[in-house]
Amino acid sequence: MSQLSRLVHIARTDFSYFFRTKWLMAVLISLSLSDMLVVGLVYGRLIPTKFAGLTYFQFLVPGIVVVGLFSAATDTGRRIWLALREGVVQYYLTLPIRTGGLVGAYIISGGLGGIVYSGALLVIAYVALSFLGPTAIPVQGILYALVLIPFLFVLATGIAGLAAFFASVSRRGEMYWVYAQALQVSMVTISTVFYPAQTIARYLPAPIATIAEYNPLSLAAGILRDSAFAGNPLDTSALTNLLATSLPLAALGAFAYWIILRTIRLKGKP
Amino acid sequence: MYAVETLNLSKRYGKTDALRGLNFTVNEGEIMVILGPNGSGKTTLLMILCTILKPTSGTARVVGIDVVEEGTKVREVMGIAFQEARGFWRHKPSSILKFHASMFDIDPAKRQDLIERTMKDLELWESRDKMFMHLSGGQAKRLETAKVLIQQPKLAIFDEPTSQVDLRGKRKIWDKIRELRDQGSTIIVATNEVREAEYLADRVTILHQGQRVVCDTIPKLKDAIAGGDIVEVDFEDPVSGKLVDDLNGLGGDVSLLSDGNQLRAKVSRAEDWVPKMTSASYVAGAKIASIRITEPSLDDVFLHFTGKALADQP
Repeated sequence: MSQLSRLVHIARTDFSYFFRTKWLMAVLISLSLSDMLVVGLVYGRLIPTKFAGLTYFQFLVPGIVVVGLFSAATDTGRRIWLALREGVVQYYLTLPIRTGGLVGAYIISGGLGGIVYSGALLVIAYVALSFLGPTAIPVQGILYALVLIPFLFVLATGIAGLAAFFASVSRRGEMYWVYAQALQVSMVTISTVFYPAQTIARYLPAPIATIAEYNPLSLAAGILRDSAFAGNPLDTSALTNLLATSLPLAALGAFAYWIILRTIRLKGKP
Repeated sequence: MYAVETLNLSKRYGKTDALRGLNFTVNEGEIMVILGPNGSGKTTLLMILCTILKPTSGTARVVGIDVVEEGTKVREVMGIAFQEARGFWRHKPSSILKFHASMFDIDPAKRQDLIERTMKDLELWESRDKMFMHLSGGQAKRLETAKVLIQQPKLAIFDEPTSQVDLRGKRKIWDKIRELRDQGSTIIVATNEVREAEYLADRVTILHQGQRVVCDTIPKLKDAIAGGDIVEVDFEDPVSGKLVDDLNGLGGDVSLLSDGNQLRAKVSRAEDWVPKMTSASYVAGAKIASIRITEPSLDDVFLHFTGKALADQP
């Protein structure tokens, strides 16, 4: 078995954990669904205003999908934290795979978790819009959503990387959740995930508005709105920006996780 | 070439020296038991050999491959059963073994049969539908052993393989470890359990405070204790003082017990001393009723070489 096959095998095994913690999935998906169906559909009818040509539901759903991707990808950090504390990482370190491969496997698994979860939300949103929404989804929007999958995967690996970083520096389990929640609050708040860029520009200082604009979550939500829901052609500069902002996060997380594995090799513990 | 060779191997955690310039070798195809109390450096040595830990200084080679320079290659030829069982909490034993087998390129055609046979041998088959986190301590330990058994590595390492395992299970695990050796694997077993060492060891290395105290076969280690064998001889009639003097002349320390019919001798090698004693008794006309020989235990060996009892260690 080659190094790559082993990497894929470990990533697949770790990814399978995503489906083994059913209670976590149930909690995550119920929150996302209630946001999407109750808030989106009810408020969508209460708020007739269109944002950039989109109904409130069409505007909100991409945000929920991106936040779902965020939550699923951060689950990687929880698994890394458990693996570090329960000694599974030590087991991994005895397998014939390089340390870099092990790091890559975790990041890829996080990416897969994010994409599967957000993909499921996207499908539910399409179905909901088709039956309940005020406007139909353009066919090309679905095609654009398929093209977007690799880009969303890179975003999910970036978030998984950040989660790996926090897992690596958390001494206690609850601290990991504190860090993950703080990250979510800051990244979602300073973003255009749930409100338009103009709103942020109006109420917040210019530097924060700029950060919100280049926040990878904003970029992903924006592309989903424009292409997957409005059916406009994909904006290559936005896609490039999404990659450019996601990859450093993945690299940072991978580096942090690699450091922690190196520390285990030197000190015997994380 | 040795299966394992360390040279001046040291490992320091902060201010604590876990290993201090350890020189250690294991021959191909033998079971080497590392005997030592907790904190003697056993687990640290094993962790270095399986490349989880990097040594502070010195070198370690597994089948000629340097554990620091070529860690991935070392991991291809060795397998370890940890002291604390480590598995994916939400996986079943069979899927944990399948994962392990595939990571070590076990032939997919034979994989399922091998896993099933090993699980049955180690009495894990009934627990095949339980998740790892629901296994008992003993079951988890047996699963840990099963991983190495299905892997059949060139170097198999077992760190206290039968702690938390019941008596029947211990014997099964020991037999499977011997079977693995007979199939060609070199084996290292770290333990602080004397009975385990006695059952398994081709040779024993005693580690104490991060250093190798002694390494040899069990009979030779026991023989190295002067007066280690105790021979108790019952005579039909009271023993004369002259016979006691004659027997003292054969070496060892012979004393007459209070009833006058019984002698106790502390000798180095009972197998050499007893024939001489029977001849001397025959010549003196003393009729022997019975002979009991007690060998020193490995605990006694440990006490002899380190000055401390194995059981008293922290």
